[in-house]
Amino acid sequence: MRLRCPQKLRSLIDVVQTQKLTLTLVAVGVLSGCGVTARMEPYKQTNSVINDGEQVVVLARKHHATHEAEAGFIECISDGLSDGRDGLDVHSSTEFEDKLYPWFEPSLAPLSTDDLTELLEKPGVLDQVEETGVRFVVWLDGSTERTASGGGITCAAGVGGAGCMGLAWWEDDARYDATVWDLHELTSAGTIYADFVGRSVMPAIVIPIPLIARPQAKACRGLTDQLFDFLTSPYGYGAGPDPELG
Amino acid sequence: MTGIREFFAPPLVIMDRFTESVRTTRLKLLIREASRTMESMRTIRQCSIVTRLLGVLVGTSLMGCASVVTVEAEFPQPLIEKIPVRVGVLFDDALRNYEYYEEIPQQATWTIYLGNANELMLDGLFETMFLETALVESITLTSTDLFRLDGVLHPALEKFEFEVPIGGNDEFVEVWMQYKLRLFEPGGELVTEWPVSGYGKAELGNKEDALNRATVTAMREVGATISTRFLEQPGVEYWIQERQNEAALSAEAPFVN
Repeated sequence: MRLRCPQKLRSLIDVVQTQKLTLTLVAVGVLSGCGVTARMEPYKQTNSVINDGEQVVVLARKHHATHEAEAGFIECISDGLSDGRDGLDVHSSTEFEDKLYPWFEPSLAPLSTDDLTELLEKPGVLDQVEETGVRFVVWLDGSTERTASGGGITCAAGVGGAGCMGLAWWEDDARYDATVWDLHELTSAGTIYADFVGRSVMPAIVIPIPLIARPQAKACRGLTDQLFDFLTSPYGYGAGPDPELG
Repeated sequence: MTGIREFFAPPLVIMDRFTESVRTTRLKLLIREASRTMESMRTIRQCSIVTRLLGVLVGTSLMGCASVVTVEAEFPQPLIEKIPVRVGVLFDDALRNYEYYEEIPQQATWTIYLGNANELMLDGLFETMFLETALVESITLTSTDLFRLDGVLHPALEKFEFEVPIGGNDEFVEVWMQYKLRLFEPGGELVTEWPVSGYGKAELGNKEDALNRATVTAMREVGATISTRFLEQPGVEYWIQERQNEAALSAEAPFVN
């Protein structure tokens, strides 16, 4: 009889430990499934940098029928660039488009630096650009799209209570291209390509626990940091801050 | 007497009891009737409350499904060179009070008021495009206007289409519209007729706001096309040349008193 109790206790401890281990493994599995993978490719081909009194404007490429950089994303980049003590002088996108109306409307906006040269030759346009103080135009192209989703959660309710069981997941891809034009040199200063893929999971054990990845927010932060370095560091500024992995 | 009473006593008691039982039954029936009436009144009252609630719910849902948008925006002045002519602009009632109504089955009804926005956009646009503009009442000019204007512009909104996504992966509200711009000689002869279309889209958030933004984008596109392509239209260049020649001739002509 004396021997039996410690044996039972040991087996109970074993069961509890196995359950803990299983739970930990499940939690690690679920958590590792959630996260953001980033890829950024900056390329600068001139040594021009933004000087005091010069401004930058962030505009969305709107000529695509299928996608367009979100207004919130443009705002996020603009705010990020102007943020802080060392923030850049960022011109409002709407104001810039209004001041240069109709030349930056989707059907007329210059698609290449040759178009830009042609545009600046039109009467009054160059003067207006100079009046705004804008030297760099950042063209943002791309969008965040749901690329995959799966799994499922079932919920039920009864007299005794309610609960959910299952696992749902989805993947969002924030893919953006930032092309920087120098209006003084009438050249393309370079491009930054950013691709942030975020996988979100929502396990439901009685209650759903959302573990949401936000690739768009991370893409905004990553692209803002890169653009800041791009505009403030001369030619060969390096790869910029390390792409985030979260 | 006592003996007779005693003799008749049992039947009297029976009669009394019978009468009492009849009264009691009637009373019970009356009470039941009254309670039934009260019950039915209560049911009717409950029904009326439910009906009212249903009415409110249906009304609210119908109100929620009926979207009304009055397009509002400020349109910027185009950065272009003025065309050296003076034009009369005819905004008719159809353009000034333009109203689009569409009933989408099993979804919603949409009423879109575009009149003010039409006038605001086109008025500002023509004022910047031409040397001088004046509002006119008809295509054929009055004798006073004949001397001071080189032609008449008559814009009309011919088509308006929109799409509001109700699910799926669509994230944009889209608007497509087509205006027709007619240019007339001061005498009323048609110089050119030009269909100008515009497309706009806006991210879906609040449906009404998104539709307003998409419409404004489409109208800006129309303005951009009119202001940059007007001179390319057939007949327009010749018309301008003629007007300038006439102006030059009248300037050269000796002043006769």
